Amino acid sequence: MARKAPKKDAVIVGLGWTGSILGMELASAGLDVLALERGEDRETVPNFQYPNEMDELKYAVRYELMQKPANSTLTIRRTLDEVALPYRKLGSFLPGIGVGGAGVHWNGRTWRPQPEELRLHSYVTEKFGQKTIPDGMFLQDYPVTYAELEPYFDRFERMAAISGKAGNINGKIIDGGDPFEGPRSRDYAMPPLPSTYDASLFAKAAKAMGCHPFPQPASIASQSYVNEYGMQLGPCSFCGFCERYGCYNYSKGSPQTCILDALKRKPNFAYKVKVEVLRVDLAADKKTATGVTYFDHTTGEEVFQPADIVLLCAFQLHNVHLMLLSGIGKPYDPATGEGVTGRSYAYQTEGGLTMFMPDHTFNPFVGTGATDVVITDYTTNRIDLGREGFIGGSSISAGTTNGQPIHSLPLPSDTPTWGKGWKKAIKQWYGHSMSIGSQGSCMAYRDCYLDLDPTYKDHFGRPLMRMTFNWQDNDLRMTQFMRKKIEAIAASMKPAVMQSSFKDKGAMYDVRPYQTTHTVGGAIMGADPKSSALNRYLQSHDVHNVFVMGAGAFPQNIQFNPTGLLGGLAYWSAHAIRTDYLRNPRDLS
Amino acid sequence: MKSFLRILGGVIVVILIAIALIIWVPAQRTSAKALDLPTSDITAARGAYVARAANCEDCHTGPGRKAYSGGLTVASPFGTIYSTNITPDKQYGIGDYSLDDFRAALYDGVRKNGTRLYPAMPYENYRLLSEADVESLYRYYMDEVKPVHDQPPQTHLAFPFNQRLGVRVWDWLALKNPRFKPPTDNPQINRGAYLVQALGHCAACHSPRNWLMASNGIRDEDAKYLTGGKVDGRAVPPLRGKDSVTTRWSQTQIAQYLATGRNAYTGAAGDMTSVVGNSLQHLSYDDIMAMSAYLKYLDAGTTEASAHSNDVPTKTQAMLTAANPSTPLGARLYLDNCDGCHFANGLGAPGVFPTLDGNPTVTAASATSLIETILYGAAMPSTQLRPERFRMPGFAWRLDDHDVATLATFLRQGWNNHASAVTAGQVAALRHKEAKPPLKSDERNAGRADQARAGR
Amino acid sequence: MTDKPFEGWRLSRRAFLEAAATAGVAMAAVPLHLNAADAPVALHKYQPEFLNVDEWAFVMAATARLIPSEGEGPGARETRVPVFIDRQLAGKYGAATDWYMQGPYDPSASPDRGYQTPLTPAQLYRQGIKAVNVWCEKRHGKTFADLDAPIQDETLTSLQNGRLVLVPELSWFFSVLLANTREGYFADPKYGGNHGMQAWVYIGFPGARASFKEWAMQYNKPYPLGPVSIAGKRA
Repeated sequence: MARKAPKKDAVIVGLGWTGSILGMELASAGLDVLALERGEDRETVPNFQYPNEMDELKYAVRYELMQKPANSTLTIRRTLDEVALPYRKLGSFLPGIGVGGAGVHWNGRTWRPQPEELRLHSYVTEKFGQKTIPDGMFLQDYPVTYAELEPYFDRFERMAAISGKAGNINGKIIDGGDPFEGPRSRDYAMPPLPSTYDASLFAKAAKAMGCHPFPQPASIASQSYVNEYGMQLGPCSFCGFCERYGCYNYSKGSPQTCILDALKRKPNFAYKVKVEVLRVDLAADKKTATGVTYFDHTTGEEVFQPADIVLLCAFQLHNVHLMLLSGIGKPYDPATGEGVTGRSYAYQTEGGLTMFMPDHTFNPFVGTGATDVVITDYTTNRIDLGREGFIGGSSISAGTTNGQPIHSLPLPSDTPTWGKGWKKAIKQWYGHSMSIGSQGSCMAYRDCYLDLDPTYKDHFGRPLMRMTFNWQDNDLRMTQFMRKKIEAIAASMKPAVMQSSFKDKGAMYDVRPYQTTHTVGGAIMGADPKSSALNRYLQSHDVHNVFVMGAGAFPQNIQFNPTGLLGGLAYWSAHAIRTDYLRNPRDLS
Repeated sequence: MKSFLRILGGVIVVILIAIALIIWVPAQRTSAKALDLPTSDITAARGAYVARAANCEDCHTGPGRKAYSGGLTVASPFGTIYSTNITPDKQYGIGDYSLDDFRAALYDGVRKNGTRLYPAMPYENYRLLSEADVESLYRYYMDEVKPVHDQPPQTHLAFPFNQRLGVRVWDWLALKNPRFKPPTDNPQINRGAYLVQALGHCAACHSPRNWLMASNGIRDEDAKYLTGGKVDGRAVPPLRGKDSVTTRWSQTQIAQYLATGRNAYTGAAGDMTSVVGNSLQHLSYDDIMAMSAYLKYLDAGTTEASAHSNDVPTKTQAMLTAANPSTPLGARLYLDNCDGCHFANGLGAPGVFPTLDGNPTVTAASATSLIETILYGAAMPSTQLRPERFRMPGFAWRLDDHDVATLATFLRQGWNNHASAVTAGQVAALRHKEAKPPLKSDERNAGRADQARAGR
Repeated sequence: MTDKPFEGWRLSRRAFLEAAATAGVAMAAVPLHLNAADAPVALHKYQPEFLNVDEWAFVMAATARLIPSEGEGPGARETRVPVFIDRQLAGKYGAATDWYMQGPYDPSASPDRGYQTPLTPAQLYRQGIKAVNVWCEKRHGKTFADLDAPIQDETLTSLQNGRLVLVPELSWFFSVLLANTREGYFADPKYGGNHGMQAWVYIGFPGARASFKEWAMQYNKPYPLGPVSIAGKRA
């Protein structure tokens, strides 16, 4: 029998980026807020301190900062006729844990979607016709427009200390920025980070081919910075230990550098660590939540935490899992096409090409998580989708993030994997290679979804979540299109060796190599409660005092890293809660 | 011979009379000053603000203890002194103190029962408090502070310092006129002077002490006022004069430092972390501007050193940037330990990482603060305007005495710095016996963060 | 239940010669600033925490082929990779503490389904080494460690490409061995491998320095300064 704790106005599940944003917004509105985090507390010093953080084995290879599958994982299958097997050790994606969540160990790349991406169904059908949409693809408009979100994108970017160069300010195209982006109300708060050598070579080559290179917008400070909460960042030292690591010198945007010390000062904000939410508790009529029940790993007790509002702010996968376990929204069933919770899981489509250039010396260990130069000349709003035969697009970029030798030492594919030849090759090629990569959209499909596994359980005896996902023809055609574009640019740079790695038709999802942690969908936002779990304010259609943050809300994935969009949505949702929901709690649709 | 004995006898009689007087003449109490505020303004709320400005809580709340219940250890040259319980508890606190008793503690360092407080309590400076502040404080302590029925550890110094009568003699020699004298016609500067001299009691650390350990500079007319002091063996920087930061920083930079513990040049560390964290960050904007105006006034006419722009890279910067294998050890240690935050130009980043080039802590005559910072790190306080608790980790575990000395010497002589070398022996003397001393922090605000984490 | 290492250990002539050569090479490759107090236990005297006698011999021999001593740059021996592997297997990694190890299992699942064996890395080594030695004994009359280098290479190749057939539960053995070997070669020396940061010196990786703000815009210029370890040692 769970002990009942004193009621809170709002309980937040997970203290990462969105948990910190919602915590700050609701505490500032005077609510009594409690955040529950199942991982450890984390602060720059001592948890990411120099030089102890500079440990490739511990952080990049053994994944110290990530969620341990022993404690929380899921099962994965590619098709409906496979038996899902557990994701036993980390590979393809790396969910975060602990205070700060994945916001601690991300690479800082921060984007806005293109305006067309937020209304992709309308865009495609208007411009290219309904027939462009293949059978089995779920293509939906977001229930919110780029124009509506613009001030919230701006707010998130200013809070998260983005360095960059705007390409479109109120319709005026600015040289040196992204000319194809949606209009911004103002430039970024800080100038972009300098480009490394390889990125500069790519910029030159891309420009020569008529493309429009610009520096990657990054939540990495290029100079001293203060945000709206008085929180501060210092300039990045290009340390080469960015992605998968906490930042030792307060220069990467994270809840720690951007929000938490300010939030902890509020007497009406409190948080607990090492407490794991088991479920959201619903009232008998299932139309509202009464609170959450959590297990306290420190005391070993189960506690019921009553609250007026429940915010699910955990990582996308865990939010959806909690919704499935708690009965929030009807679970999606691909056989019938009915149900909303778990529907439209999507990933990100990536490819890359590595070039070996013995006449150039790169210092690959000099880098930030986001030192790329990018071109958006082959993004969704630039492509004649009807002619090319796919829906989607990619950004293309080059820039070193690190030269850590265990996991970042590219070698020509004909190099022996061990022995004398391998040892010779590592010296020959370390510091003489660079890559050009594409990162792009991944659509949602009928047979790509999340539900509860029938067999495997976690250590609480709860069923694991099951992911059914595979690469689909549409996105594979798109990535092959990018391959051709990248190979052309690479060839113009005249490398000694060039090798491509792009998935082709028939590719099966391989869970072993790291690809990206941009797992999205499963709790998608939409106007229609029959095909979406959340409304435009990230409010559950079914349980009106439950709001679900994060990239689970994306009906299909955008071309870019998700944090900028989910950050803007978090502020947008918080605004609706503060100005509308609180004075009259109800379904806001 | 006879006249000698007679003189000796006379001297002995005088001494005996003096001792008798010291023991039996009742303690003299400084009388109340004229009240310069209407009585209706003397409120407990006002007293709460005065208590913040005077930073009573920092000394009168020991670690892990309830507010104002004492128990903080103060390491004096004479032994360990424990702060007292000043809650209105009748048995263990000051619950039975009248206003006159309370005033006597602040002005004269005398308890209700007549025994002397050790001057670890800075009554030398609090003597300058106005009557309005004394009475407001009294209201605050009697009406708002929660009584704590708990006796902190008692102070027992070794002979002869346990003879509190000796303190009476000391007081007679050391205590100056209690009247605060506004130095100018400008109300802002006068308010700043009062905040610095009386409430802030800055001179308690930032002025030197004489052979009696009495303060050698309570107010501006004292020649040595705010010219630097020594606490726990560590040099405390001056707040006036040509080497002080107050001549180099603008009024705005001083104000930023006071309010947030950081400015374009540096961050608060050591004892200033808790002074800013527990006291200064809570002062009003007007009071912060008054204090910074007053500090600039003290050196009026002294030209301000230009803020560092470092347009011409120094040789040090060039050497560090080149990162040659032949880099000498001090610079090499810098690259391996410090460069990640303080960078090759030694300028750090404004408001975030202190500059090392031109930083008085780096180039002070005594290298103690610098060595301790390298060994044990530093922590800025969390403040309302700038909540981030920047921390520098310590390197005691990574660098041996020779490394620290070489690195410290490099810092003191690199870029535009010109200061003496540091020896391994100096470093060895500063290594703490316990594994790692606690990082100096603003404990009250650390407590707030802990409370937040406890999920009240 | 692990076998106790070094009980009844017999020093074979071959192992002795190799150990002596290794000790000599290791000492020669160590940078001059390391004093006697830093010099670690010679590999042939090292007391493993996890591996038993035969397993230690296998790991010594196999890693020496995966990253050989010949040619420019240190090999697995000089960098003490076997020590790294032994310590990893004795700890959290060996016990798969962080992994989801609940059944049911499908070890025959295709490799792109990920790690699906019920065996921890420690068990993989224990059973995998045994299986490989059985195969070597059957084919060549000796255990892996006693084979000549070219035959060892052949064996490892067969293990890698599946010609050396193991039960499905052991299908990950070679890839784990190879990955651990590279990890031991390149990880920070605090983990027992990358002795004296030799691997970092060899390829030009600066280790834990992690501070290059002024180098971001230095194009096409090799960074010259050697590495520093987390412990603060320089090379």
